[in-house]
Amino acid sequence: MLKKSLLAMVSFILIITVLAACGDENEKKSSTDSGNGKDTVELSLWLTPQWKGVLDGSEEGADYDSFFKHAAERFSEEYDEYDVKINVEVIAGDQRDEMLNVNLNGGTPPDMFFESVFAMGDYAHRGALVPLNDIVDDEAKSDIAENYWETVTFGDDVYFYPFSHMPGTMVYNADMFKAAGLESYIGSEDSIKTWSLEEYEEILQGLKENTPSDQYSNAFPMGLYALNNQADTWNLAYLRMFGNEFFGEDGSLVVDDENGAKALAWLKKIYDDGLTNPGAESVSSNDVNAMFQNQQLGISFTNSVLYNNLQADMENGNVAEFDARLANIPSESGDPLSFTYVTGTAVFDTGDETRIKVSKDFVKFFSTDPELVKSSKNGVPVRTTVADQYKDENPLFAAYDENAQYMFSFTGNVPGYSELRQVLYPELQALYIGDKTPEEAIAAYQEKGNEVIEKSKADSVIYNQ
Amino acid sequence: MKKNHHALKRNLTGYLFITPQLFFFCLFLVYPIFEGIRLSLYKINYQGMSFIGFDNYIALFNDPVFIKSTVNTIIFVIVIVALTVVFSLFVASAIFDKNARYVSFIRGSYYIPVMVSMVVMSMIWSFLLNPANGLIPFVARELEFPVVNFLGDKNLVLPVVIFVTFATNVGQAIILYIAAMIGVPKELFEAAEIDGANRRQVIFKILIPSVKPITLYIVIINIIAVLKIFVVIQLLTGGGPNNASTTLMYFLYNNAFKYNQLGIASAVGVIMFTIALLLSIPQLRSMFKK
Repeated sequence: MLKKSLLAMVSFILIITVLAACGDENEKKSSTDSGNGKDTVELSLWLTPQWKGVLDGSEEGADYDSFFKHAAERFSEEYDEYDVKINVEVIAGDQRDEMLNVNLNGGTPPDMFFESVFAMGDYAHRGALVPLNDIVDDEAKSDIAENYWETVTFGDDVYFYPFSHMPGTMVYNADMFKAAGLESYIGSEDSIKTWSLEEYEEILQGLKENTPSDQYSNAFPMGLYALNNQADTWNLAYLRMFGNEFFGEDGSLVVDDENGAKALAWLKKIYDDGLTNPGAESVSSNDVNAMFQNQQLGISFTNSVLYNNLQADMENGNVAEFDARLANIPSESGDPLSFTYVTGTAVFDTGDETRIKVSKDFVKFFSTDPELVKSSKNGVPVRTTVADQYKDENPLFAAYDENAQYMFSFTGNVPGYSELRQVLYPELQALYIGDKTPEEAIAAYQEKGNEVIEKSKADSVIYNQ
Repeated sequence: MKKNHHALKRNLTGYLFITPQLFFFCLFLVYPIFEGIRLSLYKINYQGMSFIGFDNYIALFNDPVFIKSTVNTIIFVIVIVALTVVFSLFVASAIFDKNARYVSFIRGSYYIPVMVSMVVMSMIWSFLLNPANGLIPFVARELEFPVVNFLGDKNLVLPVVIFVTFATNVGQAIILYIAAMIGVPKELFEAAEIDGANRRQVIFKILIPSVKPITLYIVIINIIAVLKIFVVIQLLTGGGPNNASTTLMYFLYNNAFKYNQLGIASAVGVIMFTIALLLSIPQLRSMFKK
């Protein structure tokens, strides 16, 4: 009996050991022979939802991964060193950091990530990305303007291959404006309307008082949200409304001054006056975006990709049609507040030379191929050649270009930006529920934010090279 | 000596049978506990880790959000566990001796929410309570009632989370109590009836003392479950407003996966483990006394 049990036990342990050893073996090997003499390399590419379709959202079966699946297919056909299989996975924007942290700590990061650079800069600071200097050639340097290269350069190295950019603006429901008798404030379809702050307040007041409730039930003048860090760049822009500089020369926050407090007081005032949706402290940007699509908001936030998606959804009949137009975020000085998200691809340091090399080759392939880069017109192309090509088709490109002079860098390229984002929304919540005065909230944000920046500077591989 | 040897031989077979389970228990439960304790003493980033002693714990006790999460978690544990025990005792003692079909119907109605995923429940509540486009605030506005933001008012958010969690979990306790009460010997009730005891006396003097072991079990599993309360917070309130509804588990999650502070997160895990252990010891002891 004992003998039998012992035997069973030993065999069991043996099986476990063998299985574990097999697992290990598979893990270590990055490429396997596929039979035609070429080794097979399997790569993963993650992205957050950007545009649908390969070139256009109107294609049949267009989805967020269409472009990369198409690019991967072409790359596999044309690449001669390896047989390449690329798995494309779409990750929700608010899940990005969780997914990446879990996978980085588990030693299984994706090979590539296509995303707005601002959200990924921290990974460069943490040493999780490989520099891409070797795949950037002179042709790319001359076709893509210098300011985009600055956005993707950390220290001395390029960490993201820029593809397109998405300027952030406001979007308004021109039909609702008309219904509320605000025709005079409506700009043309191809322009980005700039209002002064007084005009903006008049619009909000006009929408509140005169929007016919039989036509627009449960509607509010402006979308306001502070549930989490999603789309917080607009909240950051509001903080600059009264001329605040935000970042000092040493890269620390200098938001706690008269202008910063004034901006928060303004937000609190429009919220208390019922000029925004109620419950901003527990409403997310997703809720606000959905409410705008349902015509429950007069003015909301958008960027070029979100705006294109909205237009495409209206054409497909997914969203009831209405006249949505763009406007700038107003400021006290009268100059609009303007920012853009540069999107591009980063390559993660997986420790496997072959996979890193093939990943880089793939990034270079779809970021330079004359046909594939045309898809960047779904945002605003970073390449001058592509922008010129689509200038007539999309007249807004010129309007976005005009805005470039008012552009501010909302990340200040500081380390720890992801964690910095986590300290703003609790303060906004405290402001909206009346827990803190504008002065207290802005002071607390600056104090906590600077702690984060200091701590992250100490850990940054770029600061401590 | 020979007897001992024989006993050992007999027991050894038993131990061998539980070895595989023990192996996985050690690998997936015991090892992570010790690894968690070890990590809580380190500062960890992507490039490596350095030993910093108790700095993570010191940082935690100086962090007002951590204190707030601890207080909230304790409030949740006390209120939800008390509510669950009292309410399920009330329901079970009211119906346990009724018609079997009726008992099944009540049992089923309370158990349905337990079967529905907490994620789904949270999303439905979020749809109902969302202040901007939720159903309840919408109806309230249409009827011109004063509108309250249940998720954005720091005095209301805890009761809302408590209610949602309680409503979802109470079915389990009711099922256990009914089963236990049906198992109480009929002779006791008959004797009580002959002695002229009323319903209230039967419940308090016979029924509740008879199901004491079940009460202890329900209290322990609920304490442990509520200590780990997370999904409702993540999906309904995001810890807000201004951290008013944050809990230890949510705080741990944020540190581990959003801020990438693995050392701090491990320290929170160790503290939660200690709290759960301390809360369970007296109950386990009284349970094993018999």
